[in-house]
Order: sequence, then C-alpha cells, then structure tokens
Amino acid sequence: MGEVELSCRAYVKMYLHACLFPRVSINGLLLSSSPAGGAVYVTDCVPLLHSHLSLAPVTQLALTQVDVWCSQTQQRIVGYYQANACASDSSPTPCATRIADKIAEQFENAVLLMLDGSKMSPDYRVPPIVMYERKDSRWILKDKHTIMLRQWEETRDIAGQMLESGDHALLVDFDSHLDDITRDWTNQKLNAKIAELASPANGSI
Amino acid sequence: KMPHNFWCYSDCVTYLPTEMRDKLRKWREDNSRNSEQIVDVGEELINEHSSKLGDDIWIIYEQVMIAALDCSRDDLAHTCLQELRRQFPDSHRVKRLTGMRLEALERKTQQPKNPPAARKRKISILKALGKSAEAIRELNEYLEQFVGDQEAWHELSELYINEHDYGKAAFCLEELMMTNPHNHLYCEQYAEVKYTQGGLENLELSRKYFAQALRLNNRNMRALFGFYMSASHIAASPKVSAKVKKDNMKYAAWAATQINKAYRLAGRGTKENKCSVKAVEEMLESMQITMS
Repeated sequence: MGEVELSCRAYVKMYLHACLFPRVSINGLLLSSSPAGGAVYVTDCVPLLHSHLSLAPVTQLALTQVDVWCSQTQQRIVGYYQANACASDSSPTPCATRIADKIAEQFENAVLLMLDGSKMSPDYRVPPIVMYERKDSRWILKDKHTIMLRQWEETRDIAGQMLESGDHALLVDFDSHLDDITRDWTNQKLNAKIAELASPANGSI
Repeated sequence: KMPHNFWCYSDCVTYLPTEMRDKLRKWREDNSRNSEQIVDVGEELINEHSSKLGDDIWIIYEQVMIAALDCSRDDLAHTCLQELRRQFPDSHRVKRLTGMRLEALERKTQQPKNPPAARKRKISILKALGKSAEAIRELNEYLEQFVGDQEAWHELSELYINEHDYGKAAFCLEELMMTNPHNHLYCEQYAEVKYTQGGLENLELSRKYFAQALRLNNRNMRALFGFYMSASHIAASPKVSAKVKKDNMKYAAWAATQINKAYRLAGRGTKENKCSVKAVEEMLESMQITMS
C-alpha cells in the first residue's frame, strides 16, 4: 500500500506516553493535518488511555471528542497506536484491531502502530515501531521501506532529551484529563517544547 | 524467656490451686482468648493438682486443649484430648475437638510453604511475563484462602478486564462493592464493565451504577460521562417504551448540563483547555441531535 510518514511531534509524544506509564498498556490516536490522498503523513497524536483499554465507555468518549476536535482544527484520525504492558510482546491485541477497524471505516489507509518495548533501550538505532495496514479485512505487517521518519536521529535525540529532563511528566492523556479536566489532552505545551527543540528541517507543522 | 503476662512477674508468689481454677473459670465465662495464660495455668493445674479439681477437670481439659492449639502446643493438646476421649468415648463434643486438632495440624503443614507475600510476588511475575491465564489461576487460588484481600480482588478484576472476560470481572467488582460500599471507583468500574458488555439490560445497570458512583463522588467525570452516554444510548434504543425514552432523555439532558458546567468551570482563567471545552460542547450537541 502507500507510504506513511511519521512526524517528530507524533513520535516524541508516543514515546513519552510509553515512558510515562512503563508497566501498563497504553494507547492513542494518530492524526494528520495533511490532505487525504497519496502518502499518509502522521503529523500529531493524541494519547488516550493507560488503564482499562478494553472497556468501552472512555474509549467511545475519547474517539468522539477527538473526532470533534479534529473537525474544528482541520485534522483527521488516520491511525491508532498501542504499547503493551508486556514489553516483549508487540503484537496487536483484539482491542487494538477493533479500534483500528473503526478508524479504517472512516479512513481507508488507516495505520495500526505498535510500539516495540523490547527495542526502546537508550541507544536504539532503529525506530521501535511496528506498523500494520489493512488488507482484505485483516491487519498485515507493513513493508518497512514504506515507513518514513524524516531526521530520525534528531527525533530520537529530542525524545531522549525530553525524557531525561522529565518532560514526559507534562504529557496529558485522556485518562489523566478525566482525572483532572483542567489538563489539556491536546498537549499544546508539549507541542511547543518539541517545536523549540526541532530544527526547521524536522518539519514542525 | 521474656515474661509474656502478668503472672510471670510474680514468680515468687505461689497461687493456690483454687485460685488457678477460679481464674480458668473466669476466662471461660468471659470467653477470653488469652491462650498463653490459659496454657500456663492450665498445664500446671493439670499436672500438679488434678486430684483437687473434681468434675471441673473435664471442662478444664477442653479449655486447655483449645488454648494449646492456639499456642502450637500439640503435645499438651494431645494429652488433654486423650483424657477426654478416655472419659467420654462416644461424645460428639469430643469428636469435634479431635477435628479441631486435626485442622490445626493441617494448617501447620501447609502454611510455611507459601506465605502470602511470596504468592503475591509470584503472581506479579506471571503478569509481567504476560502469562495472564496462570496469573488468574494463581490469584483465584490465593483468594480462596485470603478471601478478604481487597487488593487481590481488584487485581483479579483488572486481569479479567484485560482478557475481555467481563462477566468474571463484574463478579470481582461485585465482591469489592459489597465490602466497600462507599468506594465510588468500584461502582464506576462496575458500570463501565456492564456498559462494555452491552445490551439494554446491561446499559440500564450501567446507568444505575454510574449514578451511584456520582452519588458517592459528584466530581467523578468518568461516572458523569458514563451516566450521560448510557442514558443517551437507552433513549435512542428502538426497544424501549416511550416513558423509558423520555426518562432517559431527561437524565441525559441533566448530565449534559453538569458536564458543560464542569468544563466551563475548568476552562475559567486558563487558555489551555479551550479546545477540550469546545470539543465537549460540540460533542454534546451532536449527540443530542442523533437522539431526538
């Protein structure tokens, strides 16, 4: 299928989300502000849950709210990400495929991204991600060559730097938002920080 | 040996057998479980002064036997039991005492092997390795023995939720709600499980338990949203009567007001979450359109 590009902002927030809740499963949505058609450019992500991923109410609520926010901001939901509690297991769970299926109903070229916990050591050389695309109602492994991360090393360094300075504590996922609704699940503050650290070539949107 | 009771401090004082016998009687009447004292006094009385006790000796044997089991003094328990069996060979009461002793012996052989802390650690290791089925099995076994361990019940409910076994998760949460009726989180989680199970009956149950969670904590946003969503879904169902539809629309409208209020309050003064406030408002509007 088509090419998928992952932006610095999207990758760093996913990474920080996984680091913020290392012993549980986490998930979130992948967004794009680029027009549909051609390559899928994942420009942002919204971290969703770190508990009870398989329960319906909060997931439904989050999907609806993010949908509304996207239509207000000219973005669309183009995919789903998840990191499993058990770091050595990066295969999509039934919960993951179910949500990804729902997204695919609205966006044909939806992607399912699994974070590979076993590859997230401090000096990892390749992006610790595994991507799936939908073909014949099944999610199959995407060809690695169709996945792009521009300025990968800089992105990786930004993620590491922010983790070290404790910035992952600033990340708000939907779960945390429900615990305290004054907290912003669109993570504007974090986005600003990432933009500051990224060079112009690393495509801040 | 450290003095463990008042008696030992007065080692120089010798108590008359009658005084010891009276003490034992008082402890029987008060139902005191001061087993160590009973063993101290009783053992001496039995060994040194049994002839002076008359018929009291039998009830004293019983009392001392039970206390001896408490103190892991199986030798003494055995002695008392033997005397009782000899005197009352067909007694049902003595048979029960025999059973008590056997149970105590069994407990002694089981416990040292698997103290609770070690078992709990084993379960968390199984979880970390992703061996959910085994973790669940072990946790179930653990709970048979330690049925009051709230943390374990909650742990089990989480495992079942991860495995999509909502029925069993609900059972665990029911256990927790029964023993912790004021905990709004258990009500809310139970409601979420019911909602996930789906179907009209479960939706109505979920709405009731979201409501209960709100009664216990009116700031629980998950419960408020859950209440809103379950009421909305019920109202939108073609299977409900006009009255049920009307009632649930009222509930949903109430909840929508509360949600808007909460978000407006939260948005005051901070530019930060303007996005979420707007998103919620629009979401509530759009859901109302689909419902009416």
